[in-house]
Amino acid sequence: MEGRRLPLSNLEKDLYPSYGFTKARILEYYRGIAPFILPHLKDRALTLKRYPEGVERDFFFEKRCPSHHPAWVKTAEVPQEGGEPMTVCMVNDLETLIWAENLASLELHVPLARTGSSQTPDSMVFDLDPGEPANILDCARVALILRDLLSRMGLVGYAKTSGQKGLHVFVPLNRKETTFEDTKTFSKAVAEIMQKHYPDLVTAKMAKQERKAKIFINWSQNDASKTMICVYSLRAREKPYVSFPLEWEELENLAGLGDPERLQVMHSEAVRRAEEKGDLFQEVLVKEQKLPHL
Amino acid sequence: MAVQGIWSGTISFSLVAIPVRLVTAIRPGHISFHLLHSKDYSPLSRRMFCPKEGAMVPADEIIRGYEIVPDKYILMTDEELESVSPERSRTIEILEFIDMKEVDPIYYDHPYYLVPSKGGEKAYQLLVEVMHRTNKAGLAKFVLAEREYLVAVTSKEGALALTTLHYSDEILPDEDISPKKGKIEAEEESRMQKSIEQMIEDFDPGKYADERRKKLVALLEAKAKEKAPVEAPAVAEEEGEGPADLVAALEESMRKVKENR
Repeated sequence: MEGRRLPLSNLEKDLYPSYGFTKARILEYYRGIAPFILPHLKDRALTLKRYPEGVERDFFFEKRCPSHHPAWVKTAEVPQEGGEPMTVCMVNDLETLIWAENLASLELHVPLARTGSSQTPDSMVFDLDPGEPANILDCARVALILRDLLSRMGLVGYAKTSGQKGLHVFVPLNRKETTFEDTKTFSKAVAEIMQKHYPDLVTAKMAKQERKAKIFINWSQNDASKTMICVYSLRAREKPYVSFPLEWEELENLAGLGDPERLQVMHSEAVRRAEEKGDLFQEVLVKEQKLPHL
Repeated sequence: MAVQGIWSGTISFSLVAIPVRLVTAIRPGHISFHLLHSKDYSPLSRRMFCPKEGAMVPADEIIRGYEIVPDKYILMTDEELESVSPERSRTIEILEFIDMKEVDPIYYDHPYYLVPSKGGEKAYQLLVEVMHRTNKAGLAKFVLAEREYLVAVTSKEGALALTTLHYSDEILPDEDISPKKGKIEAEEESRMQKSIEQMIEDFDPGKYADERRKKLVALLEAKAKEKAPVEAPAVAEEEGEGPADLVAALEESMRKVKENR
């Protein structure tokens, strides 16, 4: 690739055994989705979540860039609390993406800030997490209320599936003045107001027992030390679901149909839809918005 | 090396200014541990404790004092501290060129590399080449993280290395270290010299490794395979309203949202 040699290994290994999805097909997926996912990974410290023996076996997180990385993989030194800076890698090109997938890093997690400005989030996020027996349809209801509330506050949000059971709403900021303290204060106040007005549907509390049958609005993801699953990343579930952006109208329609499976987007559909509609998360990278009343 | 660097700016002297980034030359091998509560694996946090009141002290009640004699302090505010801190700077200004052999290794503090930034590659190469040929090091002053350092810039295998140096008043005097001179027997001296000569090798740092670290990594890997890691419990959250203005605006917006649904 581009004159760089990258030996690939174990291409025939089935990493989603109950569905049937080999490493070769995972590489093929990421190659196809690359034009859409790369802008969202660019200049962000990658956390690799590696599944060397497939999604049904053990995985491990790697925040530090593996020391055996090829010389052309872009790295950065990020400061760590009370310690020497840590070397992380950034997926800034197709080669690095393929390299990371060859390491069976099915899931790509990135922080809300870029490495050069690690204390400045470029989005505020609401991570909507359903507590059983609530499901992704309840998440959709909460997301739609959240959209309206944000819109009354003069803010535009963008939704994506988590690729697991929940939804994520991203509010682009892209202003260097905004801090994680700002996004945390704001998102927490929003989560609490949602909980106050929809106490049977929403909780803003982390405690497991509070979350049963409700949607937990996880505002605490708005933190320099946290990462989110990158939009268009595969998830390590029984099937190769993707964290995929949905238009609000689409979410309204799907919520009305009452079938949670219909909200999930799988690998091949993801590439097809992205190619057809373009990057629905494009605005998240560029739209400037200011959090009011802070 | 495709690295981003912990500082970027220019290195300059007389009319030369080359854009560069500073990257660390060392990855420390230290493995650190978190302290956990044995009962439930909660990660423990450090809080400031007042032994007189027997209570934790909130951040806004903590100030700084320099102890001049036991229990007597001179107070220092953040503003006062800042007033003596150097301005952040984007240049490494070379003040003079010296012979690196004259610098006692005791002055060496931390090694870094300087990497050329876009557009600086050619001038960088030239400086590397000339410094290599003249075998000189540039002595410079440089501000990193609110501290001004004395640094030596050297040419090393086609790149520029930067070593922060200790200031001379940081070096302890060695006058009490060496014992009083006594008489040395010529025979003893030649015997010791021979023993040393028998052990002379070329320096090969690759031969040596931190054995404790190697064993520790192996132990961690074995334990990780053997048993799932313990998990920290969720922390009880602080209740509390957000900023009054924001909460009021959210209440008003929420009311309108509900009216329209």
